[in-house]
Amino acid sequence: MGVPALFRWLSQKYPKIISQVIEEKPGEVDGQEIPVSTAGPNPNGEEFDNLYLDMNGIVHPCSHPEDRPPPSTEEEMMLAIFKYTDRVVNMVRPRKLLLIAVDGVAPRAKMNQQRSRRFRSAQEAAQKDEDKEEFLKMLKSQNNGVVHEDATAMAQKKTWDSNAITPGTPFMDILAASLRYWCAYKVNTDPAWEKVKVIISDATVPGEGEHKIMEFIRSQRSSPEHDPNTRHVMYGLDADLIMLGLATHEPHFRVLREDVFFQESKARTCHICGQKGHIAEACKGEAKQKEGDFGEKDKALTDKPFIWLHVSVLREYLEAELHVPQATFRFDLERALDDWVFMCFFVGNDFLPHLPSLDIRENGIDTLIAIWRDNIPLMGGYVTKDGHVDLERAQFILDGLAKQEDAIFRRRRQTEERRDANAKRRKLEEQNRSRSQNNTVQRGRRGSPDYSSPSSGTIGRAKDPSIAPADMPLFVPGKGILTKEERAVTHDMVVNRGTVHKANAANKSAAAALKSQLLGGQIDPSSANQTEPSAGDGADGSGQNNTPQSADVTTTPVSASRKRKAELMEDGDAGTPSRDSPDVSNKPQADSDEPPPDNVRLWEEGYADRYYEQKFNVDPKDIAFRNNVARAYVEGLAWVLLYYFQGCPSWTWYYPYHYAPFAADFVELDKMNIKFEKGTPFKPFEQLMGVLPAASNHAIPEVFRSLMSDEDSEILDFYPTDFPIDLNGKKFAWQGVALLPFIDAKRLLEAMATRYPLLSADDVARNALGKDVLIMSNRHPLYEEIATNFYSKRQGSPKYKINPRISEGLAGKVEKNEDYIPQSSLIFPLEEGVMPNLDEDNSISVHYEMPHSVHIHKSMILRGVKSAPPTLDRADIEATKGRANSSGRSHGG
Amino acid sequence: MSNFAIQPVSRFAGSSAAIRRPKEIAYFSYDDDHVFHLDERSLRYYYPPNLGVDLSKGFDTFQQLDDTADDHLDGLLKTIIDLEQRTGTKCTAEVVTWRGMMTKIMAAPFDNMSGFEMNATRFQDSIFIEENHEHKLESRKQQHAQPSRRGAPSQDLMSFWGYKFETLSLIPDQWDSTSREVIETRENMVVNNYAQYCSVVKTGIGKARMLIGGEVDALWDCKPDNRDDPINWVELKTSAEIANDKDTLKYERKLLKFWIQSFLLGVPKIIVGFRSQNGILQRFEELETKNIPGMVKRGKGIWDGNLCINFTAAFLDWLKQTITTDGVWRIRRRERSPVIEIFRNEES
Ligand SMILES: [Mg+2]
Repeated sequence: MGVPALFRWLSQKYPKIISQVIEEKPGEVDGQEIPVSTAGPNPNGEEFDNLYLDMNGIVHPCSHPEDRPPPSTEEEMMLAIFKYTDRVVNMVRPRKLLLIAVDGVAPRAKMNQQRSRRFRSAQEAAQKDEDKEEFLKMLKSQNNGVVHEDATAMAQKKTWDSNAITPGTPFMDILAASLRYWCAYKVNTDPAWEKVKVIISDATVPGEGEHKIMEFIRSQRSSPEHDPNTRHVMYGLDADLIMLGLATHEPHFRVLREDVFFQESKARTCHICGQKGHIAEACKGEAKQKEGDFGEKDKALTDKPFIWLHVSVLREYLEAELHVPQATFRFDLERALDDWVFMCFFVGNDFLPHLPSLDIRENGIDTLIAIWRDNIPLMGGYVTKDGHVDLERAQFILDGLAKQEDAIFRRRRQTEERRDANAKRRKLEEQNRSRSQNNTVQRGRRGSPDYSSPSSGTIGRAKDPSIAPADMPLFVPGKGILTKEERAVTHDMVVNRGTVHKANAANKSAAAALKSQLLGGQIDPSSANQTEPSAGDGADGSGQNNTPQSADVTTTPVSASRKRKAELMEDGDAGTPSRDSPDVSNKPQADSDEPPPDNVRLWEEGYADRYYEQKFNVDPKDIAFRNNVARAYVEGLAWVLLYYFQGCPSWTWYYPYHYAPFAADFVELDKMNIKFEKGTPFKPFEQLMGVLPAASNHAIPEVFRSLMSDEDSEILDFYPTDFPIDLNGKKFAWQGVALLPFIDAKRLLEAMATRYPLLSADDVARNALGKDVLIMSNRHPLYEEIATNFYSKRQGSPKYKINPRISEGLAGKVEKNEDYIPQSSLIFPLEEGVMPNLDEDNSISVHYEMPHSVHIHKSMILRGVKSAPPTLDRADIEATKGRANSSGRSHGG
Repeated sequence: MSNFAIQPVSRFAGSSAAIRRPKEIAYFSYDDDHVFHLDERSLRYYYPPNLGVDLSKGFDTFQQLDDTADDHLDGLLKTIIDLEQRTGTKCTAEVVTWRGMMTKIMAAPFDNMSGFEMNATRFQDSIFIEENHEHKLESRKQQHAQPSRRGAPSQDLMSFWGYKFETLSLIPDQWDSTSREVIETRENMVVNNYAQYCSVVKTGIGKARMLIGGEVDALWDCKPDNRDDPINWVELKTSAEIANDKDTLKYERKLLKFWIQSFLLGVPKIIVGFRSQNGILQRFEELETKNIPGMVKRGKGIWDGNLCINFTAAFLDWLKQTITTDGVWRIRRRERSPVIEIFRNEES
């Protein structure tokens, strides 16, 4: 869920949901790495049954990492993916099942966001390539045409287009084949994998990775032989995986992720030469340092620590927080949790823009919980039931919010004004200081917050990482080779750019300033989310990107490339230390960087009229229109809730606006009757055509490409090369709304239909619907049964229900996989020699089909659940209850 | 008349005699009107109830089965005959009886207070044992005649709590197929003990091969894909909350019955609902049947599971040697008696 800062908010409000992962590191004898034997007990003191990988959370960082040079070939990317996956699996050591889920074709409702990300990503890539070219030119001119070959090679290499990570591309084919190979390889060679069933759901199986995982868990829960005390771990980057964890109603559930707090303190690489230790502005295009000097450091950097997010502990917190003594009905934690998840949707999700009055950074969730608690006695029941919204009760919540809306906007304005005033004052102070200081270089103090003992699971909150130390030393980029200390400072600059960078600008040498200008002021885009346009490119530079707008829309000319690293850290908290506290570092300081004025002025009366007039181009008197927008939004909420709790209710539904309505626009919800038409998912190529910009057409079969660029293409309007970004009251482009036209499925499919007959057989295969694959060792008890059924003289049916007593709880059907030849060898599908082949493959591979229940999945815990001993003590619970009574009510109304 | 000495029980101590894991070979149901069916329509599934519920609620509308008529072994025999007809093979067992009869025998070494009277009929190498119906009615009358402690709930109410707990804990289908509404309205359901699912199992203790029929409360999950695999049955029980040593003693004495009943049909799990003195459901506990003897041994140690098994094996041996001719025999133990008697029943 694209809620910036959700993870940070959760971990601050519910500190004990986090604890550090204890990881056994491989030993070393005489320079030889001794791998960890993961068959041994899990060092975290607890064993886990099932590990689910939301694989895109691995593929993105491995294929275009932000802390080291990108892999140069797709083989190398696969190796990086294997390595990373291996590390994650070794941390968890699943004893029963490993489910690898790659994003397949997504519901139409998700495509708006995908499209916006990919269009922005393409712009970013183009910008990067441009930077490199410019830089090379500049180096040549400075060094009399002599440039080190490493730098040339690096600069000439086109930025890998991460848009290839979309179902239906050749890259996804390679990924799927590689994963199948690797899992079979592990099953053959790693004793810890002998008893593990591996399911791979690749991009040919429709659905987002995490939702395919959810569907699997629901399917297993519907099986009577599912062990209610199964210990689940889900790996992924989205903070809302913890919501999904709650939504399973499995009590033994953890989310595993990298410690993003730790990552903040680590240097990133220069995006021009790919080396560490300096940022793009300081790049000299020098030869690569010898391995061993940086090689070792590199390893330390890639081994970021991981953390657990304990859903069970969040359940404890919420049990205290959501219990309303005045309720007229029995408290049902599971139902209350669902309501909580529902309320989180209002504050942000991948499918709907968040309500203008709700912002996670303003504790929007607390506001809603307070309203919910106040209304529980009046509503007489929960707002949601098993993924269905009670619209009459939802009206209570929205009415409650509507009453506060004006006050929220006014308060927001006051806070902003105060913030601006503070920033101005600080800037003055800094300027004074920098004049009085001689630029001593010393190491800035910023690090990952430390954790108290893992058993307590508490995250110690250090000082606000977004606030740079007042005496931040300043780096002089033009000086030449960097000292160690300077490199350290560079890292701080990357992190705390906002403060430091501006202050530095004044100190730049003329040459550096020139270079900066040549580079368009670009700073490593991986952290550009906190970057405001630098002094160098000012208003004039950006003016060139300006595209004519509808005069009513407040758009910004800021290039979309200057946004956060889009997909990699989807919720954007990774590597964005200051996003939820933008008071200091995010504030543009040069006056020329002030964003265009916000003409909606939510804090002034009449804002709703202005909003609808400017954002929707609708007459302020047209109240019916507003209510229609609100109804579409409610449909969206209902869609999202079902999506989370029951599986995709409609592949075709989507919210057809770029903006959300106000809470006050929701009226007569109880009269609504929401029904979804299930529809069918897009085919992979249709989705590609729906979400990719023309710049990424290399990922699309040739026959379709001209549809994106030909003057006479009937769908040319879907693929603007430049598009406005509406800041929508925010300060940075990445926070803004990319105003891309919505895809009209009918027109898209009609246009594509004419080209389908021209597809090659290979392409047709890539466009087809795939199946989940189940792989296991011949040492697994299920092997015997399956092998007998499919490959012995006593062959059974080609598809049959497996016996959960043999499969150790796994329910579902298996089907013969015609691609698998028993007793053959295992061949690495990519370039020879990169990974070993095995003469004798001791694994088996079959198609797997999860059980399909025709019933509603009930939000209940299963019989036989044994709760873990509580993590929260009395004081925690009392504090949580106390806060529940007092918080979220600061807006009056 | 022959006597089988219960005392001294110490001679039955030691590791247990061979037992054959009970295996369901057939089943039958009584429906909501207590009509017999050769199917599993009354099979129920376990899903835990809410805590804090008043088990007395609905006592006034309790629909209680009138079991004053003598059913003999009717249901069991009908089921066995059907099975024999369907498979074309004869069920061979040395002893055929209801689970309740075997429970009384097996508990005898540690239950001095309750006597029993049964009728045994030998027919074609099998001994069929059923309760002596008159004795059953008589002892029930006596039990009712005993005044309950002042302020304590009546016998009837207390037995209602057991049925109520079952109603609260059962669902008619697997969890996935049962609607939320059904699960959530169990508290308001009229309690009725007409419906039963009875399992007929083949089992053996010592050298005796037996067919035992008995009601099972619920399935934990589902019947296994492989018919030879054990079934995860659930037995539901209620018990007073344990507050002191005396309560523990009482509870462990109760566990003897719980254990034997479940042991005989191969029920691996017992859910005990603990209730307050006035019938409020406080908590429940899941017991693994196989762990109960160990629990008791580590507790007050008032009974020994192996000893019960050995005693039963020896008794059945003696029974087979004693009842050697066709006709009706009486098996009797008087209250507090150190022996079980067998004699020919003159009445028939
Ligand atoms: Mg995903």
